[in-house]
Amino acid sequence: MTVTPTTAQVGDKLPELTFGPISRTTLALYAGASGDHNPIHIDLDFAKNAGMDDVFAHGMLSMAQLGRLATNWAGQDRMRALSTRFTAITPVGATLTCTGQVVDRHEEHGRVLLTIKLAAHIDDGTQTLRGEAKICGTP
Amino acid sequence: MGIFNRSTKGHVTPPIEVTIERGPLAFFSETIGETDPIYLNPETAQAAGHPDILAPATYAAVVGTFADQIARRKGQPDILELINGDLRVLLHGTEAYTYHGPMFAGDVVTVENEMTDFTDAKGGKLEIAHVTTCITHPTRGLLVEATRSIIHRLG
Repeated sequence: MTVTPTTAQVGDKLPELTFGPISRTTLALYAGASGDHNPIHIDLDFAKNAGMDDVFAHGMLSMAQLGRLATNWAGQDRMRALSTRFTAITPVGATLTCTGQVVDRHEEHGRVLLTIKLAAHIDDGTQTLRGEAKICGTP
Repeated sequence: MGIFNRSTKGHVTPPIEVTIERGPLAFFSETIGETDPIYLNPETAQAAGHPDILAPATYAAVVGTFADQIARRKGQPDILELINGDLRVLLHGTEAYTYHGPMFAGDVVTVENEMTDFTDAKGGKLEIAHVTTCITHPTRGLLVEATRSIIHRLG
């Protein structure tokens, strides 16, 4: 049976989401679409001058994937909160695997509130983001 | 010693109006790989009872960035200029949203930022700026509260 916000129990996993490989084109498009023009993500010369070997992906591009994972499952109207910590840089060419698991379900003011633990990992197993979503589980 | 201008702690930026335009919103959703037509196709969104296409979960950051751009065009400092952010050593630490209501294409929202605090970590190797952004709709009220930490790698 498919797990939904109204039936989810602690320990249940959300459908995984993968994104990538993240190309330089993706980063250029994300810079334009998000308005984040920080050259560290799109300009190799700038990145090298800043002591980096290469440009790296916008953290917010990965957070957007955690957001998609949560909203694809629950729908935007059930989203109460979304938070992330950026734990490692995401290199060009990486493919993200995003996962979510229900870690808490409790009633608050007569409403069911789910806490979902979220994470993004890249190909070599490095965790790049960890986060949390609060989702309404009231039928 | 840090780089951030810590005297801006407590500063609240003047409210900036941002129009959530349909084309840029759909472009963003496509770029992040969104395929649900509720984020892309106005007809699908309207059939679902929405006034227009829906903004995805992290669009609050984009609205904040657009507000920064508008502030600069008005001759006002954006957040990074205000706190003296240095892009060469800048990292994004955390980002968090509390959702109070959805944002749709066509909405005209107001963005206000507060420089809430500056902290240090890892024995002074990192300095962290904490910023809160509120996105408000004139009739639907507060839509999203966003908090962000921006890090300088020092030394």
